[in-house]
Amino acid sequence: MTAIGSTQQGPGAQAGTGAAGEVARGAGPLWRRMARTPAFVAGAVITATVVLAALLAPVLATHDPAAQNLLGGLQAPSGEHWLGTDQLGRDIYSRLLYAARTDLRIAGLAVIIPFIVGVLVGTTSGYVGGAYDWVVSRVVDTVVAFPFYVIVVAVVFAVGAGEQGISVALALVGWVTYARVLRATTAVHASSGWVAAARGGGLSHARILVRHILPNTLTQAIVLLMNDIVFVIVAVVTLSYLGLGVQPPTADWGTMISDGQAFVATKWWLSVIPGAAVVWTGIGLSLLGDGIGDVWRVE
Amino acid sequence: MTLSTPRTPSTTIRRAGVAVLTAGVFVLAGCTASSSPLPGGSAAPTTTAPTPGGTLTFARTQSPTSLDLHTQITANNAFAIDKIFEPLLSFDAQGEIEPWLASEYSSSEDGLVWTFTLRPGVQFSTGDAVTPEDVVYSLNRHLEVGGPLPLHAPITSIEASGTDTVVITLSEAYTPFAAELAGFSNGILPAGLGGVDEETFFKDPVGTGPFVVDSWTEGGDISFTKNEHYWQDGKPYLDAVVYSLVQDDNQLVAQLQSGQVDVIDTVASANVATLESNASLTVSTTPSWVVEEVFFNTLDEHFADRDVRRAVSYALDREGIVAATSFGTAEVAGSVLPPSIPGYDASIDSLSYDVDAAKAAIAASAYPEGFTTTLLVASGNSLRAQEAQIIQAQLAEIGITVEIESIDLAAFRERFRAFDFSFMINSATSDVADPNGIVTFQADPAGGTNGYWTHYDNPEVTALIAQGRTLPDGADRTAVYSQIQAMIAADAPFIPLSYPSNIKAAQATVQGLTVLPNGSVRLQDTWLTR
Amino acid sequence: MTGSLRWLRRTALRVVPVVTGVVLATFFLLRLVPGGPAAAVLGDQATDEAVAALEAQMGLDQPLGAQLWSYVSGVVLHGDVGTSLIYNVPTSELIAGRVGVTLSIVALAALGTLLLVVPLAFAAALHKDGVIDHVIRVVPAIGLAMPTFWIGLLLIVVFAVNLGWLPAGGSDGVRSLVLPAAAIAISMTPVLVRTLRAQLLEVLDADFVAALTAAGLPRRRVLAHVLRNAALPTLTLFGLNIAYMIGGTLVIERVFALNGLGALMFESISNRDFPVVQGVALFCAVAVVAVTVATDFLVDRLDPRSRLS
Repeated sequence: MTAIGSTQQGPGAQAGTGAAGEVARGAGPLWRRMARTPAFVAGAVITATVVLAALLAPVLATHDPAAQNLLGGLQAPSGEHWLGTDQLGRDIYSRLLYAARTDLRIAGLAVIIPFIVGVLVGTTSGYVGGAYDWVVSRVVDTVVAFPFYVIVVAVVFAVGAGEQGISVALALVGWVTYARVLRATTAVHASSGWVAAARGGGLSHARILVRHILPNTLTQAIVLLMNDIVFVIVAVVTLSYLGLGVQPPTADWGTMISDGQAFVATKWWLSVIPGAAVVWTGIGLSLLGDGIGDVWRVE
Repeated sequence: MTLSTPRTPSTTIRRAGVAVLTAGVFVLAGCTASSSPLPGGSAAPTTTAPTPGGTLTFARTQSPTSLDLHTQITANNAFAIDKIFEPLLSFDAQGEIEPWLASEYSSSEDGLVWTFTLRPGVQFSTGDAVTPEDVVYSLNRHLEVGGPLPLHAPITSIEASGTDTVVITLSEAYTPFAAELAGFSNGILPAGLGGVDEETFFKDPVGTGPFVVDSWTEGGDISFTKNEHYWQDGKPYLDAVVYSLVQDDNQLVAQLQSGQVDVIDTVASANVATLESNASLTVSTTPSWVVEEVFFNTLDEHFADRDVRRAVSYALDREGIVAATSFGTAEVAGSVLPPSIPGYDASIDSLSYDVDAAKAAIAASAYPEGFTTTLLVASGNSLRAQEAQIIQAQLAEIGITVEIESIDLAAFRERFRAFDFSFMINSATSDVADPNGIVTFQADPAGGTNGYWTHYDNPEVTALIAQGRTLPDGADRTAVYSQIQAMIAADAPFIPLSYPSNIKAAQATVQGLTVLPNGSVRLQDTWLTR
Repeated sequence: MTGSLRWLRRTALRVVPVVTGVVLATFFLLRLVPGGPAAAVLGDQATDEAVAALEAQMGLDQPLGAQLWSYVSGVVLHGDVGTSLIYNVPTSELIAGRVGVTLSIVALAALGTLLLVVPLAFAAALHKDGVIDHVIRVVPAIGLAMPTFWIGLLLIVVFAVNLGWLPAGGSDGVRSLVLPAAAIAISMTPVLVRTLRAQLLEVLDADFVAALTAAGLPRRRVLAHVLRNAALPTLTLFGLNIAYMIGGTLVIERVFALNGLGALMFESISNRDFPVVQGVALFCAVAVVAVTVATDFLVDRLDPRSRLS
């Protein structure tokens, strides 16, 4: 939850870029630079395992993730059930795979709209400045000052728990990160001499923004995006833990952790394994984000 | 005039002295500490004399919000209020009505005139004697306020008579009256609130109960000290009680295990086994007045069809549901009345699990091919989420596709109050040790909640409920309630799933923790071994 | 003098819109949420009449405009954020009763974070690209990916249940705040370590370090200079994190069953105790702004460049 503070609300601005990118110096084709960036390689490999697990869930799963066996609940890991069964006798290994689908899907959904809105608002307000910029900045300040969970919980209560509620709630808060960072970098570019020169050369504002400023700021936005996905996955899991997240019977890591919490002293794997899945995914994505930052900064 | 108690209308006088009450003190029933090697951890009724003194830390998941007994109903308030105020009558761990501040009571042959004799020597925590005027004031204030637990009895007058008698007159016979009076909301307070305004009074209330408020942080802990003027000799044993606010089931368990608290008010059934394996703890599992049920909106397009509701009833494997969700702490339900309420009938046909019968019923309904519907549950309740998923899987077997909609509790309440749902899972709780209460609000259209938000209306059942209210206790009345239970089960406006237990856990040093079927605890009987 | 006046004006221009925004947003956001407080008080068996009567008593039958006016005028004219609908005491009293716990965790977590961040960042920067550096860079990434509540659960299992070193939660003095603060510190450390490490590397490269070392200054004093010059961006980030934490301890308070502001907020949203939610949100917003302003002030004072001018 504090990770929210770190990645979501401003601090995240530095999260990716602050990580020193001194690993992959030197020129060469893109793929070679990628291959020479350990963070990128490690991140890509880890992320790939999660994405593959999600995509191939129907193939990899040993059981129907929804099939119940009321008299076979809470079994320890065995040859039949590799990671045991949950309270309703469902196969945990199979649910873990399908949960990857759920959580990646929600994270993707919940990240893309704020990304677009944030980039749009941030870039324009940084470029245009003036009253528009002032208003945007005050709205951004307000959202940042707003206790995160008041917004999220209230929105989830209003829209209803589930994927829709989570996406709306996170979108309402998420765009701020992008807007802040892109506003700042755009403002720097906009005040630089070459923009004035380009204007003098007869280029339209739209053309300057889209063709010249955006390409410069987008890298940063994408690095932010990678970190934001980590944050969103953690937030989705946290909301499910609070009972506000994914609706039953859909498998998701947060609900699995939460359901297992009562048994944590005797059957630790119920909570720890889905938690480890979240951590694995998070590490993969944040290394990938770092890696992308490292690779692109060379250009 | 015949002296009677409600359940035995013959001429008997119930005179309960301190001896009877002490016999009511028993140690955590069903606890597992019988295997405990620790001294004092024995589950058997103990013969050692109680040790006075000490402070009991009692962890609860919600803090009290108000101590006004007439405006509150929820457990967080009720079970703080009932330590401070006491009614004329009370009920014991088995739900038996017993004299309390009134040492004797009786009703006339026609059931219209009820006479209560105050127990001699009962004082408020200020040391002032309780008078009949205090009783008249208290009950009148309750009638005036109404509140969430109103006096339903058709009272025409409440009068003080002499120095120790109160006479209450009804316009028609009302058998559940004694049970109703035993509720916490009919506690006795000093007439005129002792001369202070309501707000001041209920911040630091004066009652006859075993404890008085010591300090109270709204939204936090509340602590009580012993009432030095308590009427039961030598009680309470404890010097002080602290209700510690711990807003999480798993934290309750963790804090009990680490010895930070002495008693925890609720134990999630999933945690029972863990606690039972700990020799320094005792777990108490006692019958409750709660019934976990599926409720149908009988105005719903599909569930208006009686055959559909019966099909659902047959399709649900309640044994399986209870096995998977309660870990042996709940009983499979069949009747709308829990077994702890007099009149419960285990022999009725509860349309229990029978897939063939379910298929036959759905085939006979207006939707033989099945349909798609939505099950409404309150979020943040893991038991309900589990139940919903089982119901979803089991109804799929008879062609009913169920989507689960879980929304937060306040929104959930708004939805069912507006009848904006198809079917839902909720629980019903009796407030009194009498069958009338629960069947009235669940099945009487005039019960105030439209059949507990089902819109169930069967005139035959309604007539029987009215009859049950006036019939004196005895075989005839019991027969009426059997009939009511059977008819409701056959109509299936709701499907009782399980009878959950009151589950409490305590350090083995805690003795004499009497758990009442409404979920409260009699702390005047509790003591700590050193 | 004019400088501090300008500062005051600038600060007011930042604070006033934010506070206004938070006040209005909470009010309308809460009214969009279905369900009301009366049903929470009266329970499932309450009649419609009883619920309507209690709602009227709570003033919820008033038109929205009137409710907004009474809220806003209370805040502006009397500094009064209203009375709890559930507890029937002033919201400020409820907040005062809870704020201590939250601020203690935040303070303890902040301290813990500093104790973790500075040595880790130095170790990584001084052994750049060495094994220590890689370990220090990867391990915090794990912290970043761990949901705080899950860290909390693990800490409870290990340190409270199995080792029995510390209480699992509750209000047992400072001891019971150690695990929650640690959980927050663990999740806050990664980003700060990354930032400080990057800054340290930059400063270590600077000429003045070589000059100071060449001048024979003890290494410890040199590093102190380095830290001072590298700390500014991290400080800003740290301030933002602290500000965020004040309104964000909800989850950790829940895991450890601490009765702080976060728990009050969640309970009040669940009960639809509108004035309390509004009050807590406002309090948090003011705290966030205050911390941000204070951090900016501090950074401004510490920045060698601005001190020269």
